[in-house]
Amino acid sequence: MGIEEKVPTGVLLTTVEKLVNWSRKASFWPATFGLACCAIEMMATGAARYDLARFGMEVFRASPRQADLMIVAGRVSQKMAPVLRQIYDQMPEPRWVLSMGVCASSGGMFNNYAIVQGVDHIVPVDMYLPGCPPRPEMLIDAILRLHDKVMAEPLGDRRRRMIEARVERDGPPIVAPGAMPSSYRFDKAKRAEWTKAVAQGREEQLRIQKWMEERANLSGGAK
Amino acid sequence: MSIGGTLKGFGVTFSHMFKPVVTEEYPEQRKPPAPRYHGRHILNRWPDGLEKCIGCELCAWACPADAIFVEGADNTEDERFSPGERYAQTYQINYARCIFCGLCIEACPTRSLTMSNEYELARDNRRDLIFTKEMLLAPLLPGMERPPHDMRLGETEKDYYVGALENPGTSAGAEHYKGGQA
Amino acid sequence: MTDVVPKVDTVKLTIDGIEVEAPKGALVIRAAEQIGISIPRFCDHPLLAPAGACRQCLVDVEGQRKPVASCTQPVAEGMVVRTQMTSEVAKKAQEGIMEFLLINHPLDCPVCDKGGECPLQNQAMSNGQSESRFVEHKREYPKPLPISTQVLLDRERCVLCQRCTRFSDEIAGDKFIDLMERSSNEQIGVFRGNPESPEDDAPFNSYYSGNTIQICPVGALTSAQYRFRARPFDLVSTPNACEHCAAGCDQRADHRRGKVMRRLAGDDAAVNEEWNCDKGRFAFQYTQATDRLTKPLVRDRKTGELREASWPEALTVAAAGLAAAKDNGGVGVLTGGRLTVEDAFAYSKFARVALGTNDIDFRARPLSGEETEFLGSSVAGRVDVTYADIERAGAVVFVGLEPEEECPIIFLRARKTYLKRGLASYAVAPFVSRGFEKLGATVILTTPGAEAEVLGESEQLREALSADGAILFVGERLASVEGGLSTAARIAEETGAKLAWVPRRAGDRGAVEAGALPTLLPGGRPVYDPAARSEVAAAWQLDAGVLPSASGRDTDAIIAAAKAGQLGALLVGGVDPADLADPQAAEQALDAVGFVVSLELRLSVVAKRADVVLPIAPAVEKTGSYVNWEGRVRPFGTVLKTAAMSDARVLDALGRELGLELGVGDVAAARTQLAALAELPLPGTAEAGTALRGSVRVAVPTVAAGAAAAPTSGQAVLASWHHLLDNGSLQDGDGHLAGTARTPVARISKSTAADLGVADGDAVTVGTGRGAITLPALVTDMVDGVVWVPTNSPGSTLRRTLGVAEGALVEISTGGTKS
Repeated sequence: MGIEEKVPTGVLLTTVEKLVNWSRKASFWPATFGLACCAIEMMATGAARYDLARFGMEVFRASPRQADLMIVAGRVSQKMAPVLRQIYDQMPEPRWVLSMGVCASSGGMFNNYAIVQGVDHIVPVDMYLPGCPPRPEMLIDAILRLHDKVMAEPLGDRRRRMIEARVERDGPPIVAPGAMPSSYRFDKAKRAEWTKAVAQGREEQLRIQKWMEERANLSGGAK
Repeated sequence: MSIGGTLKGFGVTFSHMFKPVVTEEYPEQRKPPAPRYHGRHILNRWPDGLEKCIGCELCAWACPADAIFVEGADNTEDERFSPGERYAQTYQINYARCIFCGLCIEACPTRSLTMSNEYELARDNRRDLIFTKEMLLAPLLPGMERPPHDMRLGETEKDYYVGALENPGTSAGAEHYKGGQA
Repeated sequence: MTDVVPKVDTVKLTIDGIEVEAPKGALVIRAAEQIGISIPRFCDHPLLAPAGACRQCLVDVEGQRKPVASCTQPVAEGMVVRTQMTSEVAKKAQEGIMEFLLINHPLDCPVCDKGGECPLQNQAMSNGQSESRFVEHKREYPKPLPISTQVLLDRERCVLCQRCTRFSDEIAGDKFIDLMERSSNEQIGVFRGNPESPEDDAPFNSYYSGNTIQICPVGALTSAQYRFRARPFDLVSTPNACEHCAAGCDQRADHRRGKVMRRLAGDDAAVNEEWNCDKGRFAFQYTQATDRLTKPLVRDRKTGELREASWPEALTVAAAGLAAAKDNGGVGVLTGGRLTVEDAFAYSKFARVALGTNDIDFRARPLSGEETEFLGSSVAGRVDVTYADIERAGAVVFVGLEPEEECPIIFLRARKTYLKRGLASYAVAPFVSRGFEKLGATVILTTPGAEAEVLGESEQLREALSADGAILFVGERLASVEGGLSTAARIAEETGAKLAWVPRRAGDRGAVEAGALPTLLPGGRPVYDPAARSEVAAAWQLDAGVLPSASGRDTDAIIAAAKAGQLGALLVGGVDPADLADPQAAEQALDAVGFVVSLELRLSVVAKRADVVLPIAPAVEKTGSYVNWEGRVRPFGTVLKTAAMSDARVLDALGRELGLELGVGDVAAARTQLAALAELPLPGTAEAGTALRGSVRVAVPTVAAGAAAAPTSGQAVLASWHHLLDNGSLQDGDGHLAGTARTPVARISKSTAADLGVADGDAVTVGTGRGAITLPALVTDMVDGVVWVPTNSPGSTLRRTLGVAEGALVEISTGGTKS
């Protein structure tokens, strides 16, 4: 929607692209869409202790017209679905949707007639966050992963084709944007480890191994 | 409003720059959650590397969200994945449905399924949220061998199951693991 | 069905303080069931004789010193029974027994296939103690022990209730498993000849072995096919009807994630009681075959190869081809015997209305014009013999039918009656088969071809058939005997015996009722009768004269005409040329005819030769009904919801493409239309119709009995029938089932064997000008000059290799190379 979308695309513009993407991701303004228990965790995330202001998104807008990120927090009932869609439609481009919690992502344990089985039946979702409800760290992780995705997004209306062209030129990235857990991405050593593990196809094992090591420290490494 | 009052106000802000941070600093620093926090699952192994999962589907039965799918298969003499007759050929947990209630790990008769404290699970598509057996299986710790292989810790499966707590593999007592290459 | 229930003597007793009136001689456990008190049990089964083997059902009976087993104790007047509900004695006794039963039980419920539906598990929870006092070592056996390729035995889990051995002995008559050893070593086992050479073993190769898995109250007998595939709580169960034979068994299909995992016998006291055969239970994986068709295929004009096409394109091409052929020689319709009655009706209507022809025949096997008449005169619309009639019959006679191989549930009923009150069975057959042996049948050894003569002249049979309620069973094989069906109809008429025609396939009887025959319209109306035609035309809202009046051609004539280039096109349903009397001619006909439309499940021999192939749904993916040999409607619902379409829906779409509204695409609509014409109580139709109301019935054929062929030296008369488990395409994909099939052998008499100079096991070659079959010989007590080989078993594909039917003369010699 913005004027930056109108500039011609090309290799020379990658710096502009980076700048635009950086400014976009560094000031997400979420629309409040608290629907159920997940909203409590979302509020906690927005409050002082987790300090979302670090990522330029401390203001949850009550009006969709000033928001570019919709955090769908909670189960979406069939009755709420058209409302949700309307709010989404009222948000200006560029806009993103984060489906918070399993109910929003897939219906969760409410596999019944009353609940939409995944908010992606109504709006396109950019990030799915499991958990019931997810703790604030999980939400921050999801937002940071979305940052990562936004940073990797080309400008213009032929984004998909450009991504395909890039993959063709440089090969697919070892770690897809948004696939690395934030605590790994923000730590140089751990990031390298993760990238190596992904290349070997054992990143999930790496996580468990790290956790085991961490737990050994926790219990004072007894025995 | 005097200039002094303004300075006093900014002074408070300025002085906080030298005080310790009280907010959470995730993701740079990740505070470990409570030890019994319900995070993503692990499928554990016996100390010789055989899988503890016997494919009994009790976790799938216990699951209130129907997030687990298991299909068992027969261990043969040539291809053994777990002690005993049965192992899980397919094991999937759909994290788009899982509510981390932990009923599955309570149902598990072999302590194969336990939960870690890992929680960074967001993905940008629903397919990636379905964790397969390869993703859920615990890493091979030193001394473990990748199945299929014969039972190394005894003649029959009873040698594994009787006295299982002294022989924890990667579940109970996993916190005692000292690190090292998998 | 309209019989008045005879008054039974009853006695009054008290169970848990409630007064009960139970029939005299009933068991206490059943009387308790009447008032909703469930006494725990393992060995007790309502269809098996009482055994009192497990002792779990102990109850306290006033006046008895010790608790008694309620599954063996008959009720008596004034008896006072206290179950575990009111009596501490009974409760303690049951808990003690449960503790005993669990002493050697491995408690490996998490890996056991029975876990979740296990009576032992359930009753240990409801009627057992939470702690066992047994701390010693449990008995250990190697497990699982395969006692056949489809049944696995786990002796550790067994509680020795003997349900399986009693079933095999009492119901199936295949005493392949039994209790062995004594004391704490007592165990179920099969005969093991020599541990060094497993070929000496006698595995549990009963046609009914699957039932033991179902009735096992613990996980001791499990199915190799279903092993570890799923859990009962994760399965969705849908009742359905068996698609394999004309018995019409009620079944239950358990499925998950769009795949059938197992099938179990349903509970229908009027038909299969609680049993079924292994073919019905285990043969269902053909729908998952790799050559299953999901998209229509059209022959490409340029390349001449079949290529995938869209439904609209395929239907357009098929309709154009059929319309062109209709004016250029006509179209022959071969439907095959696997159709539901709704699908058969759709074919029948499509042929008459859309193609304007009576050239339609469901028979994919040797047939005769005599049979065509017989089906009109003595089968269509007749429902006078039921399974229950077998239990009341004074005698039963089988001609051209081996019940165990060709309709296993008739065999079970006859055997049940034989054991209960010594039902006299007679058979006209070339030798005493295993099934006849188990029925204690008097077999009149007959050379194939001479059955009509024997049936017509045997005083013994005439006497038997004169008995009260006697039934004459004729199989579809009798069609190839000259005068066979005429004689059967005549004898039944003369003696007053009931006559039952038993086809082999599930769809055969329904196809007769629906009019998939060259001479019959729906409801058994003869094509040549103007009144019949006007009735059908009125029901179908057609103008007079639209329905073709000339009798059509039967399967053989259609094939001959197609081969001679007289037909413009063929519309073929599920027909395998290898089942026909002459497969070679059928294939030549398919090649010769200008246009072939094939409605197929898999890429079959016909589909490969077709110009348009339209994929259709297998039985589990559609709704419909079969009509079994009794004429009983066996409706079933969709098990797996897929996009696959039934034959009727495809024909409806094809009709629409030809500018006709047949209205048969919807099952309910097809049923309404059919019920208006035939006496079939189809579900959802208020009243069964007006069969034969205004029209004549086809006359009974009167073909004189033919004589058997006379073999010269080096020749023999061919006798044959299908094994229950053979090369049938609906049994594809299941190795476990195939492993229990009977070994194909060539049966010859002692003197024939002596003439040839062969002994048991030596190779015998049976040949014609076209080909030869070599099988190990089995010297049998049978008519001289006859050789029996299975019709379609591995190494014995009779029709394809030899190109002849039963009763033909074949060359017989000692086998050359094959041992």
